[in-house]
Amino acid sequence: MESAPTAVASQVLPNPLAHLPIPFQAVDYAAKGYHLDATVNPDQVVAMAAQLDKEGLALDTITGVDWMAQGQMEVIYDYFHPAKALRVVVRTRIPRDNPEVPTIQSVFPGANWHERETHDFFGIRFLGHPNLTPFLLPEDATYHPLRKDFTS
Amino acid sequence: MEAPQDNAQILRDCAPYIKFAKLDELLALGRANSLWPLTFGLACCAIEMMAAGASRFDLARFGAEVFRPSPRQADVMIVAGTVNKKMAAAVKTLYDQMPEPKWVIAMGNCAISGGPFVFPGQYAVVEGVDKLFPVDVYIPGCPPRPEALIEGLLKLEEKLTGKRRWPVVKAD
Amino acid sequence: MIVKEPISTPGAPNETFVINIGPQHPATHGVLRVKMTMDGEYIVRAEPVCGYIHRMQEKMGENRTYAQFLPNTSRIDYLSAMTYTHGFVGAVERAAKLQVPPRAEYIRVITSELNRISSHLVWWGAFLLDLGGFTPLLYAFDDREKILDLLEGITGSRLTYSYYRIGGLYNDVDDDFIKGTRAFVAQMRPRLRMYRSLVTENIIFRKRLIGIGPISKEMCRKYGATGPVIRGSGVPYDVRRVEPYSVYPEFDFIIPTFEEGDSMARYLVRMEEIAQCLRIIEQALDKLPSGPVMAEKVPRVLKLPAGDYCYAVEAARGRFAVRIVSDNKEIPYRVKLRTPSLSNLSLFEEASQGMLLPDALALMGSLDLVIPDIDR
Repeated sequence: MESAPTAVASQVLPNPLAHLPIPFQAVDYAAKGYHLDATVNPDQVVAMAAQLDKEGLALDTITGVDWMAQGQMEVIYDYFHPAKALRVVVRTRIPRDNPEVPTIQSVFPGANWHERETHDFFGIRFLGHPNLTPFLLPEDATYHPLRKDFTS
Repeated sequence: MEAPQDNAQILRDCAPYIKFAKLDELLALGRANSLWPLTFGLACCAIEMMAAGASRFDLARFGAEVFRPSPRQADVMIVAGTVNKKMAAAVKTLYDQMPEPKWVIAMGNCAISGGPFVFPGQYAVVEGVDKLFPVDVYIPGCPPRPEALIEGLLKLEEKLTGKRRWPVVKAD
Repeated sequence: MIVKEPISTPGAPNETFVINIGPQHPATHGVLRVKMTMDGEYIVRAEPVCGYIHRMQEKMGENRTYAQFLPNTSRIDYLSAMTYTHGFVGAVERAAKLQVPPRAEYIRVITSELNRISSHLVWWGAFLLDLGGFTPLLYAFDDREKILDLLEGITGSRLTYSYYRIGGLYNDVDDDFIKGTRAFVAQMRPRLRMYRSLVTENIIFRKRLIGIGPISKEMCRKYGATGPVIRGSGVPYDVRRVEPYSVYPEFDFIIPTFEEGDSMARYLVRMEEIAQCLRIIEQALDKLPSGPVMAEKVPRVLKLPAGDYCYAVEAARGRFAVRIVSDNKEIPYRVKLRTPSLSNLSLFEEASQGMLLPDALALMGSLDLVIPDIDR
């Protein structure tokens, strides 16, 4: 049977985390793939992680992005809820020539490896991390390959 | 006591019961028909290597199903997968630990020349395992089919004995 | 990271030693190195060292156009290659607002579920090889060859298919594929019953796995473990149900979940999943619509609008998510691959403390790791 493809309906859910003091913006899930997006200062990421931990979310991954033209690096924390459709993104921007963010490893032990990997690729230092040694690169590596000015 | 017989006559009389050959050829035949590979699957090609050892393609027919985990008990190292700069030292150590005579089969494009992971500015992949040690047979493919791995083993056997044990199958 | 005191027996010397498992080892399923601090046969601390198969997939994402990156997606986790390609093309289609025709979506589901069965079969054979039984590997690979024959007939490749394209599929399936898939489903169900009586009900196997390597729900959540790991700990989290994508909402299937959290629970989740995959394939074949398999008007030169886009799929090992950060050029600005094996392995250090070495290897096998998935 032939059926015409239907347009994807936009899905902006009401914010289930509106009671938290986090500046969330609701996002169209069908267009972007996540529900809530917040941009915070680097010194607030641990508090954000603790509040999301209390809500029962799990850490999905930590991504670094090198915005060389703007002189900044971005650290994106993705969280997901294991029981309901709730994808939350917390972002922070740090200066590129001195990239430091506190570690959220004490809240989510899974962040240990994600932060080591982000450090490998970008050189971002996670303050308080117990073991910020190369994870995917050789043990003696001093280069950060995903920086936009990296040449091998 | 009988008269001493002609040596050529003795050989003709013994021929149905005793075969003579050069020791080198015998050893080469023995080695070729019982190549013991090292379990060295690094990445995707390892699955095709496992499939070659499993039921349908059956490396046991060629004497090569005894994969040894220890390099000191293996004759041939089938490098199946991408060799990384972090892994290169370990690969070289494994090669050095294998006792002579030893051979290397580079299976897959990554082991031959770095495969699909070569791009300008690449920082992690060793472009071909022959940059580390000599390779005897190259099997191209990404990943090569198990039949290609078997053909590579037959080519290695041909290199050892000088003769190919399985005729090349040509399409009609 | 929690470090407990070494277990001591009265009178024994109180010292530990460090042994190295891998990176070349038959039980590590790839090049994983684990530095184990041992107290006799008990593990004090197991520290996985990764990076031995780091192939720069994320860096290559910044050097390839969206279409050129497709072969890479198959090679991240080569056992589950279709679902990984699905994750990437889904992200691009979401960003470019492309409508995939229904026939293509159904065929994507059928091929992804066939791929999931073949991945679980490889896991099953290799896991039993780790525990010491060689025969199931041969049976598993025999069944897997039948799946590979079907997929080779439509894609041309046995392992690293790049079958999905941005907007649909590379080519359509033919009647041979449909007949062959139905025949495969019919013959796989008795095989699963045979595997149950041969392996699952085997007393030695049960003693090796029941109660071994308990992982709690809380540990799964803290480390982000997904897939059969979290479903074996009592949480029915499956991306196909919680964040439905493609045409999965149209199918009737259960999410197998077991409460015990030990290695046996994770094993049973995967075996049950194979049965559920067969159900989904049958339903998809019954409902397969006709029509094109490629979206209309897919731009030849594809540029995504600036911003970041995510797409998550349920791969055989867990949740695979792609985040594409675009700055409106032909090549992405950043491609982030969230892979399940990394999160699943990250809990190994905490979960394996105080375990016997063979039990820890059974735990590692039950996590179902593919190391290039961790190292990318």
